[in-house]
Amino acid sequence: MVMSLATKIGNITIRNPMILASGVLGTTYSTLNRMYEAGLGAVITKSIGAKSRSGNPNPSVFALNEIRSVINSVGLANPGYQIFREDIEILMKNSTPTIVSIFGENKEEFKEVLEGLKDLPVLAFELNFSCPNTEMGGAQIGTDPDLVYKIVKELRAKTKTPLWVKLTPNVSDVIEIASAAVKGGCDTLVAINTLKAMVIDIHTKQPILGYKKGGLSGAAIKPVGIRYVYDLYEHFGDKIPLIGVGGIFRGEDIIEYLLAGASAVEIGTSLGVAYPENMVRFFQMKIKKYMKEHQFGSISEITGGVHR
Amino acid sequence: MTNQTLLNDKPIMGVIVEKWEECFETYGFKIELPVKVQNAKPGQFIMLWVPGEDEYPIGIAGLKDSILEVGIAKMGPGTEAMHKKEVGDLVGIRGIYGKPFTPPEDVNHLLIGGGFGMTPLKLLTETLMSNENKQNIHVFEGARSKDRLMYLEWLRDLHDRGKIIFHACTDDGSYGYQGFPTVDLEMFLQETETPSVIYAAGPEKMMKAIFDLGKKFANVVDMQMSLADRYMRCGFGACSSCAVDPTGWRICVDGPIFNTEKLEKISDFGVYKRLETGEKKRI
Repeated sequence: MVMSLATKIGNITIRNPMILASGVLGTTYSTLNRMYEAGLGAVITKSIGAKSRSGNPNPSVFALNEIRSVINSVGLANPGYQIFREDIEILMKNSTPTIVSIFGENKEEFKEVLEGLKDLPVLAFELNFSCPNTEMGGAQIGTDPDLVYKIVKELRAKTKTPLWVKLTPNVSDVIEIASAAVKGGCDTLVAINTLKAMVIDIHTKQPILGYKKGGLSGAAIKPVGIRYVYDLYEHFGDKIPLIGVGGIFRGEDIIEYLLAGASAVEIGTSLGVAYPENMVRFFQMKIKKYMKEHQFGSISEITGGVHR
Repeated sequence: MTNQTLLNDKPIMGVIVEKWEECFETYGFKIELPVKVQNAKPGQFIMLWVPGEDEYPIGIAGLKDSILEVGIAKMGPGTEAMHKKEVGDLVGIRGIYGKPFTPPEDVNHLLIGGGFGMTPLKLLTETLMSNENKQNIHVFEGARSKDRLMYLEWLRDLHDRGKIIFHACTDDGSYGYQGFPTVDLEMFLQETETPSVIYAAGPEKMMKAIFDLGKKFANVVDMQMSLADRYMRCGFGACSSCAVDPTGWRICVDGPIFNTEKLEKISDFGVYKRLETGEKKRI
């Protein structure tokens, strides 16, 4: 039996369903190239905005070993699209399938960033409506269905490059936000971004993060991500492709997301380790093993399996 | 005391048990951790959290039996905040992170550094001295003036007892010879017939100069340099704030110690560093 790991996300095809999530190993073209060469299907850059931002003070990233998770409050540190463009150009030269994550404080900034990068042959733009680590933009936009609709619609009119919308889990009704994004004309829904979280040191009685509050990623949030993908698939069926993200640490987790309804997955936290290449290899081995055991010839046969 | 090792986890709180003025604008601290820790290897680092102020990577000068020693030179508000800490105060530690120096046998060990770079070299000196076979250890230290030479008393004492050969220099000639530590290093390399390994830590521009010098000598069989003087957020390989081009190596986990073969491949070495925004800036 012929087995292929390639997967279709709308009208783009990538060699396997594993995509590097935004925010991990995405500061420079060189780590992104490295992760593609490690065997991922595609890579997503760190979120890029209109202006250079230093992000929040340190500590801004640390592990919570007990729950195999990471809390962060990086806060969209980035050099601005004009400077980061050079890195994207190198990725294009290297034919690395790249999705560029973009954010803005408002509609105008989203438009500015898209205008500034839309001539590049990237696979897609992922709209980061869901970063919890700033006072502005990001998550606030992602919790307002009207704003989501308006921004997606305006950006849609400006480019034919696929637009992915990354959803925040920090809302009471994700279907409402997702529907607004779909109505605005997005091509793919990505769920989920980090969960609002906080860690306090009881000895000094202080929040540990420099920004005090942060977002949680890693194994602890996987069941949350699965639930969101399941709910989205239940609502939209195969009308819009879904990408599952949150807490993937094993190949089995990838299968779980596919069964819940995802066509691909994004992996971040578990690749932020000393030997990310080994992780990718383990994931790939496990997916192949599962497909063989369950006689799946393609990823699309697994997608949404739990709903059938 | 619980019986555990340090994991990659949230900061573990340690209490400052000793503080001393090491040299000008530089303090030494001994910090007692509430857990049993594996001994650190020279070149490895920790992330030091000064509660409510900042967190940054710091080279380990010593870590044994739950006592961590660090040397903190004034570099900005975060290090100044640490200077204000006193015995009894709590600070947070994450780590141990990074790949250590890997000294081979039967070579001259040439340790060369300046400023904050002397902390990992102190631990390396101690580790080399603890080897059963006597090692040829040379420490080359340079600073602007005598009062800025770190571990001066300690190194001078080791020199006097014949444990190491200490080559000191200052920009103003207030101690040792006047000039850069590369002057003595070059003279030594011209004279020695034994294969030598150079270990360097400190400002990257200085290390690049040492690297270029070392390459001219066939008897330099390896160079191991610490690129820890970089902006870091996570320390464990996730954020890539410290990544170097074009290899995509992260200083925190793929380094901070890189050998000659790897240093040759890092085009950023001594040329570019990365700002908090991720933008590259000439060093």
